[in-house]
Amino acid sequence: MASHLEIVPSSEWRKKLHDRGGAPVTRCFQCATCCSVCKLAPEEQPFPRRQMLWSQWGLSDRMASDPGLWLCHQCNDCTTHCPRDARPGDILQAARSLAVERLAVPGFLGKLVGNAKSTWPILLGIPFLFWVAALYAVNGLTIPESPLVYDRLVPHWLIYAVFFSVTGFILITAGAGAIKFWNQIGRDKPRQGSFIGSLIPVLMDIAFHGRFGKCDTAKSRKWGHFALLWGFVLAAVASAFIIVAMYILMEELPLPFWHPFKIIGNVAAVFLVVGGFMVLQNRLRQDKPAGNATAYDNFFLSVVLMVVITGVLTEVGRYLMHPELASWIYILHLTSVLSLFVTFPFSKFAHLIYRTLAMVHERMTIKS
Amino acid sequence: MDKVGLFLCTGCEIGAAINTENIEELAKERGAKFFANHPCLCSEEGINLIHNAVENDGLNGLCIAACSHREKTEEFRVNPLKISMERVCLREQVAWTHKPNDEDTQMLAEDLLKMGLARIAKNELPAASQETIDRTVLVVGAGLAGLQAARAAAGMGHPVVLVEKQAKLGGYLNRVKTLVPEKPPYDSPHPNNLADIVAEVEDHKTIKIFKGSKIKSIQGQPGQFDVVVQTASGEENFKAGAVIQATGAKPYDADKLSHLGYGKSPRVITSHELEDLMSQGGLKTPLPGRVVFIQCAGSRDEKHLRYCSGECCATTLKQVATLHASHPQVECAVMYRDFRAPGQLEHFYASVQEKTGCMFTRGEVESVETLDGDKLRIQMQNSLLGEQVSLEADMVVLATGMVPVSADGEAIRELQDARVRINKNESATQVEEAKKIEAKNIHHEGTEILNLHYRQGPDMPVLSYSFPDSHYICFPYETRRTGIYAAGTLRAPMDAAQASEDGWGAAMKAVQCIEANTHGMAVHPRAGDTSIASFFLQRCTQCKRCTEECPFGTLNEDKKGTPEYFPLRCRRCGICLGACPERIISFPEYSVDSVASMIKAIEVPEEDEEKPRMIALLCENDAIPALDQAAGRRMQWNPWIRIIPVRCLGAVNTVWIADSLSRGIDGVILIGCKSGDDYQCHYIRGSELAKTRMTNVQETLDRLTLESERVQVHELSHNEFHRIPELLDAFAETIEQVGPNPYKGF
Amino acid sequence: MNATAKHPLLVVGAGIAGVTAAIEAAEAGREVILLESEPSIGGRVVRNFQYFPKLCPPTCGMEINIKRIERNPRIRVLTQTQVTKASADAQGWQVTLTRKPQYINDNCTACGECEKVCTTKVPDPVNLGLSQVPAARLYHKDAWPKQYVLDKAACPQSDLDAVAGACKYNAVDLNAQPTEETLAVSAVVVATGWKPYPLQNLTNLGAGKLSDVISNAHMERLAVKAGPTAGKILRPSDGQPPKKVAFVQCAGSRDVNHLPYCSGVCCLASLKQATYVREQIPESEVTIYYIDRRTPGRNEDLLLKVAGMEGVKMIKGKVGAIETQNNSLKLKVEDVEAGKLIEADADLVVLATGMVPNLKDDMKVFDLPKDSDGFGLDNPDKKIFVAGVTRRPEDVAASVRDATGAAAKACVAQGSQGGL
Repeated sequence: MASHLEIVPSSEWRKKLHDRGGAPVTRCFQCATCCSVCKLAPEEQPFPRRQMLWSQWGLSDRMASDPGLWLCHQCNDCTTHCPRDARPGDILQAARSLAVERLAVPGFLGKLVGNAKSTWPILLGIPFLFWVAALYAVNGLTIPESPLVYDRLVPHWLIYAVFFSVTGFILITAGAGAIKFWNQIGRDKPRQGSFIGSLIPVLMDIAFHGRFGKCDTAKSRKWGHFALLWGFVLAAVASAFIIVAMYILMEELPLPFWHPFKIIGNVAAVFLVVGGFMVLQNRLRQDKPAGNATAYDNFFLSVVLMVVITGVLTEVGRYLMHPELASWIYILHLTSVLSLFVTFPFSKFAHLIYRTLAMVHERMTIKS
Repeated sequence: MDKVGLFLCTGCEIGAAINTENIEELAKERGAKFFANHPCLCSEEGINLIHNAVENDGLNGLCIAACSHREKTEEFRVNPLKISMERVCLREQVAWTHKPNDEDTQMLAEDLLKMGLARIAKNELPAASQETIDRTVLVVGAGLAGLQAARAAAGMGHPVVLVEKQAKLGGYLNRVKTLVPEKPPYDSPHPNNLADIVAEVEDHKTIKIFKGSKIKSIQGQPGQFDVVVQTASGEENFKAGAVIQATGAKPYDADKLSHLGYGKSPRVITSHELEDLMSQGGLKTPLPGRVVFIQCAGSRDEKHLRYCSGECCATTLKQVATLHASHPQVECAVMYRDFRAPGQLEHFYASVQEKTGCMFTRGEVESVETLDGDKLRIQMQNSLLGEQVSLEADMVVLATGMVPVSADGEAIRELQDARVRINKNESATQVEEAKKIEAKNIHHEGTEILNLHYRQGPDMPVLSYSFPDSHYICFPYETRRTGIYAAGTLRAPMDAAQASEDGWGAAMKAVQCIEANTHGMAVHPRAGDTSIASFFLQRCTQCKRCTEECPFGTLNEDKKGTPEYFPLRCRRCGICLGACPERIISFPEYSVDSVASMIKAIEVPEEDEEKPRMIALLCENDAIPALDQAAGRRMQWNPWIRIIPVRCLGAVNTVWIADSLSRGIDGVILIGCKSGDDYQCHYIRGSELAKTRMTNVQETLDRLTLESERVQVHELSHNEFHRIPELLDAFAETIEQVGPNPYKGF
Repeated sequence: MNATAKHPLLVVGAGIAGVTAAIEAAEAGREVILLESEPSIGGRVVRNFQYFPKLCPPTCGMEINIKRIERNPRIRVLTQTQVTKASADAQGWQVTLTRKPQYINDNCTACGECEKVCTTKVPDPVNLGLSQVPAARLYHKDAWPKQYVLDKAACPQSDLDAVAGACKYNAVDLNAQPTEETLAVSAVVVATGWKPYPLQNLTNLGAGKLSDVISNAHMERLAVKAGPTAGKILRPSDGQPPKKVAFVQCAGSRDVNHLPYCSGVCCLASLKQATYVREQIPESEVTIYYIDRRTPGRNEDLLLKVAGMEGVKMIKGKVGAIETQNNSLKLKVEDVEAGKLIEADADLVVLATGMVPNLKDDMKVFDLPKDSDGFGLDNPDKKIFVAGVTRRPEDVAASVRDATGAAAKACVAQGSQGGL
């Protein structure tokens, strides 16, 4: 009969999901407690029960084209209440990493980041080697003398050359992933209204973490995540302002501590450090962690922390450390930033795009 | 009884409610040899008073006028072989429920006393049993339940004969390598230790085994069954005291499941066939990539088995676990309607899910189609995966349910009777009718298992879904044949662990029956009753009502159709007594005559006194306890009603109605247990038979232009005490409206 | 006849399993002591309105069982009695039985005079605390033995004097003391039954604080004529008949955070209770929220019957939260078949809670082997056996089956037939 929808289970996908921390999904018996305790699940087609079933069956297509997967904020109310300890929060997290991988353009990078459990030395090693090689080519990797001016170690033009092209790469790859995703999730339901019209309230919600606040189990994680998000936003703002300071205001680098742009940068660092630790602590504190961390998760969080820590050390190292040590810390900082940037569309960072789009999609498909 | 003492208790408000002064006179008038009253008859002093009177005055009948016969039974206990006792209920039926010191109340109390004295005068003492009882337990069927029953009965010191039609003991479990877990932590299949049990039974000194054998005939009664077993080499004759039938169940016929692909592709098999494959070394190569298990195949289905076999879900879990252990590369999926792994099998469910990664979904499987090559396609509706979905598989396992291997003794008898009538060829219409019955029952031909020589057929009667039980909640082993108990999957769908328990339980019942017989006592529900029925056969008209209506098949017929009574089959319910139009069946303490004499003892006021009289015949199992409950709450009802407890509404002879009406009593109400499919009658058919009989009475009344409302039958549950006053008052009101019985004063 | 057969069997617990085990063994000629810690036998079943799937009263079968006990001189029933010491030996067990003081003894005729004068009220344990009863009373109207009980500790002296004064039958003994007796028994059957899983633990389902969220055990008491509402199903909060009744299945069952097992009876209990509601309140709407409808065997008949009843809906989905809103209850649940989250209204919610074996915390004196859920295992070497819900979560029919089997095992352990 043509009206029958063919179910095509993928054991390969299931295996991958299990490898990424999704093994408890097998225990689910479809009681739907998860949906009813979730504060974020929409009335129609609520998550995560259906996603749990699809994950049990390995229905990778459905998972990839499902907005619900992304509407989940992993607050783990479901996991706390799950009568079978099937950990829906973890399962969806693992499934998201597989979805990111599947949406990745180019695909091999998606796979590389997705398998951070084993590939992390490559993901950090290549950027490091890249910087060492680049610096060797530019100035023979000469460590400048005290007082340390980082521009002498890594000329600004090199930074621009690298990061502008990386940004372009991000825009293209992330954009490709975003378009792919947008088309896939739009298949089953017609959208209404304008994209921008829906995007603005979504961004407002994200800015104030309105949805996150609804969760019970991970209430404390809201503020960690909030700090992280704003840390990144402020860091981006600070970076943009540095360029403004250098080329429009023609100010001398390094900027003095009292400089507003510098303050923004330092606030960003504080947000990131505090946020990062809050999220980490939230995971470790509970006797029975409501959400289990996976290598994919940890890789992202580690890189973020590395960026912040090396950044702060770079900042203070200039005055307090031996130039050689400070220089190598700076190289590590650049390494982690490059790693964070390059993996952006493929790491957990990608949820920034996909979740936002899913939320916009949700707004555009809600019946008025 | 000829030496009766009336003992009146005046405690518990009785003395305050009625005038006891002239009771002694009443007692003497009605033939009592002794009278005493006491303010607390159940006290030590009161009991001594009774005992002394028995000793000094040689009383053989005691009429205790006090509380309900359900109270203080230990205090008032007598040796039933020496003394007959009648309890007159003045507390619950008079003092607690009617206006004290009222004329009507006094008349009620006096009537009850007269009725009690009238009845005890007719009572006789039961004769002590003289039967020789064989202690052997016959177990038919050597599956797990039968084997356990044999072990248990032998363990309790009884000789056992175990008859198995197959050449090998063990039954269905011979096909099975592992079982669902029975022990903590309930997370993995349990090894099938059938071989150990078989070895133990085979080595047991007091268990005699006939393999490859069948029951050729069972004659007689519990305690004295004459059994003939047909073995490969000939016939074996022996005596047995009780029988356990544990003939098991067979898988539902999968040929009826062609919509699920059975018979269309060799890759669609039943769960039982999968058991065979697995115990013969696993799946054959090339291994299937995906195996789909379809639950409820032919179960929970109006077109097939309506019931759930209760064990298929757990069996599927076991099969998935076993399959995964030997072939981890095979992907398994289960399609269920409700996943039923009750109790601690939930641990197994979780463990199998976790260990095997088996895919589960709820849904209704519509069809299984065979595709090109070796593929199968399963179509499913309303599944969790979508409203209409399909899935490809390389192998499909149908979890089919179980059907009891029972024989419907009553149907077989009907078939035999029809054939007799066809052969007689008396009239065309009769033959035609008989042919219809023959056609209806033809499929029962040759299904006999026990080959009982019973009037009502060669096997136990079956109830719903062919299970031969009678009260499957409270008394699950009870059947409608005394001394024959059903065990295992024969009596209800169950898993191996339960069947094992069942074998033990049924053995307990069989041993118990032999014990009761040894002491001339009845078994459940009147356990301990030592009386037996007597038949005054000179007056028998061979109407066969008693032989047909006994719920327990107690009576056989001789060639002329005269009943042959087997006291050890009898449960003493009195339904035969209720059936007999010639009033020739009596129990020593319950007879047509004794109740008739109670009715006669009732004073019926003249019409102009405007005091109608009504009789209420109440079943002692449910209606009387409900009345006691109502009395305990001091509910009130009409004082013109005289209550007579009966053993069962089926033990009400219609002559009592005729006697009552002809004596001028204005109406008779019968209150008994619920009948129908979910009957509550402890004798299964008693209240149903009463209804039919009373409908006939009502028709007769109509013919006699007596209002049929004068005779009513009502059903009442044990806990519906509040309906007692409702029913009695409503009846009294109806009778008042109908007016006095025109036979009054004749 | 061997030596041990002279000693009686001991059955601990006189619920349906214990009563069955005791009678079956006694009718097979064995001496039996049947213990019950409450003042009446019958345990949980006599608190229920009806049995599933036949919808018949539990007291009906119990009536027969009581008659069987009364007629059988080989059963000795001790109520308000517990085993306080036990030690195993080669012949069986030496046990010490401690009986609570019998302030009202077996001279009692159940005339009710003491109840009339007793002014102290206590929560009624038979009605699960849903109502108050006089401190001097019949434990329940169907109680057997039919002997009043007196809650002495709850009464002021004036009440005690009045109760003693009212009795004409010398049945009140205010100075009664606990009694102890030590004896040898040849084998033991433990059938101490179960208690309902506490509502307090179900934090997301009202934690026992919402008065109109009751357990299935409460529902039985509301439906039974002898109950606190005389058989009328009424909302505890305002005494009104409910219009919308919701049954929440697996409330604290099949849940690793509560009871990890399925009690196997709650689906059927709710189906049965749905019939109570529908028959009593014709305009009512009943909704049953379930994970799986577990009605094995012929119990399927009840599922079919209720599913076909007008005014009854069954929704697959476990209720995740119950909240109060404007005097009504809101249930959050996913209707799995429709794939929709719903916020259902109800004015009475029945939580289908499961069974916790009493053995989990009790009966330490026998040192019985137990599984992780607290259910007991037979120990034939020590001649001790478990029956009913002490063995596994199960319904009445299964308990009776089990108990009969346990009686047989105990008889075998006791040795061959001792004769009458």
